[in-house]
Amino acid sequence: MENVLSIRALTKTFGKLRAVNSLNLEVKAGQVFGMLGPNGSGKTTTLGMLMGVVNPTEGAFSWFGEPPSHDVRKKIGAVLEHPIFYPYLSGQKNLELNAMVKQCPTENIARVLDIVELTERRNDRYKTYSLGMKQRLAIASALLNDPTVLILDEPTNGLDPMGIADIRRLIKKIAESGKTIILASHLLDEVQKVCTHFAVLKRGNLVHVGPVDDVGNGAEVVEVKASIANLNEILMTFPGTSTINHENGSCHVTLRTGFHSVDVNRFLFENGIVASHLQTQKRSLEKMFIEILSESH
Amino acid sequence: MLLHLLKIELKKMTNYRTFWVVGGLYFLTLGVGAASGMEFLKLLARTIEGFGQEININRIPLYHFPDVWLNLIWVGGFLKIVLAIMIVISVTNEFTYRTARQNIIDGLSRQQFLVTKILANVMYSAISVVMLFVIGLITGLIYSPVVSLELIVTDLEFFFAYFLEVFFFLSYALMLGILVQRSGLTIILVLLTQTIELIITENLRDHVPDWLITIFPMKSIWYLIDIPFPRYAFMEIRDYLTFTTIAIVLVWTFLFNYFAYLKLKRSDI
Repeated sequence: MENVLSIRALTKTFGKLRAVNSLNLEVKAGQVFGMLGPNGSGKTTTLGMLMGVVNPTEGAFSWFGEPPSHDVRKKIGAVLEHPIFYPYLSGQKNLELNAMVKQCPTENIARVLDIVELTERRNDRYKTYSLGMKQRLAIASALLNDPTVLILDEPTNGLDPMGIADIRRLIKKIAESGKTIILASHLLDEVQKVCTHFAVLKRGNLVHVGPVDDVGNGAEVVEVKASIANLNEILMTFPGTSTINHENGSCHVTLRTGFHSVDVNRFLFENGIVASHLQTQKRSLEKMFIEILSESH
Repeated sequence: MLLHLLKIELKKMTNYRTFWVVGGLYFLTLGVGAASGMEFLKLLARTIEGFGQEININRIPLYHFPDVWLNLIWVGGFLKIVLAIMIVISVTNEFTYRTARQNIIDGLSRQQFLVTKILANVMYSAISVVMLFVIGLITGLIYSPVVSLELIVTDLEFFFAYFLEVFFFLSYALMLGILVQRSGLTIILVLLTQTIELIITENLRDHVPDWLITIFPMKSIWYLIDIPFPRYAFMEIRDYLTFTTIAIVLVWTFLFNYFAYLKLKRSDI
């Protein structure tokens, strides 16, 4: 697949602080790429370098195989950190200005306003907008030049649950249209739902990169409840059991490879036990994220 | 391409109320101020009368061609500070709203961002020249006892100097705005520049050769266009431009814009 973005040894230092440390990364066409990391891990600094507002200390990157230039940025729609617009201009006027900067036809404005459902408020000044409307206008602006790549940095920051749901729906809609999306977010649940690939940054270092599908792989954990006293001991005799943890009155059985919840169920039944609760635990990105961060000291 | 960049800046400004208020005040003050010269002369006459002297103000050809050009240009030059403050507001806004950052993310290069501002400065300077020319033409036609083309076209080269003066000062304001990035502090610095430079030059005057004083940036403007009024006290004034004074102003103007460029190029926005 075609490389949309490739980053080589990209480094940014602020005085003694290495905000981004020799980052190597590739994003291919059509991926929805999640960038994860705690606050201050270098996500926004990285995106700032990719969009030409932060000067890299060392290293290089290329968009669509070309060296970075201001013209290449016109093919990318980006919102970094929070929406930025002229407060005294209306949403419509702000987008007209953006269209001039991006050198794209103004006919697109009506379409993107429609996508983010701001058509009714387009003639009101930007400073009268709610935070959710500002975020949506930012997404409209990013979509204005029909970009092949979309960069969204914490697009749901500070939104209420309704606003978050709106934005999530919007991102899914855009992803379905085949655009490459780079999404920096704290909301791991969101990344798991939307992204195809993800990378984890920690204090400027890349500590993990891979497909989101891999998150579910690994040992299966089955949560078992039954109204007998020695459930624990009986489960220990099951050949597929690797370890057992007790949590809230139920047994969390980590299985050896090749064994699944159905085997546990059959084993219990053969031993004359009827489970009142039997559930396979899906490993969440959240859990994996915390594992990755704690492993990489 | 240059026109495209100028249009971007105009799009930002023409929908900004402060722009119209400050611009309106500037041209209003310029117009009314320029037309009030005779009233000022009357005030002068009354004051002198108090000392037992008499002057016939009608014999002072303040608004006669070609005197009117140089008189208006010299006085009009003081109002450039108003335009400069508007420039400071327009550029520091881009940093406080962080819109400079978004402009670059959206696809302007840093140089292009600066060029939009410089082009606007050129435009404001040119409009100032046209305004002052029109005001001068009207007052000249009203007050001049003799109107001839020859008299009207005399001293017009000072409009070139006036253009340089305004563009020089706007470039200075733009540079300070980009370096400081905060409107309040920048405006105070712009207002204090003349005073600070005067203190420095007056303290240096006895210790350094004269030519060194003439190359100080704000001084270079004073030397570019001499004060014209001493001619009414029968003194010689320089009613022509000199190459050296133009060159000094041009060099400073270039340096201001170049420093602004360097700062933009090197900093994280």
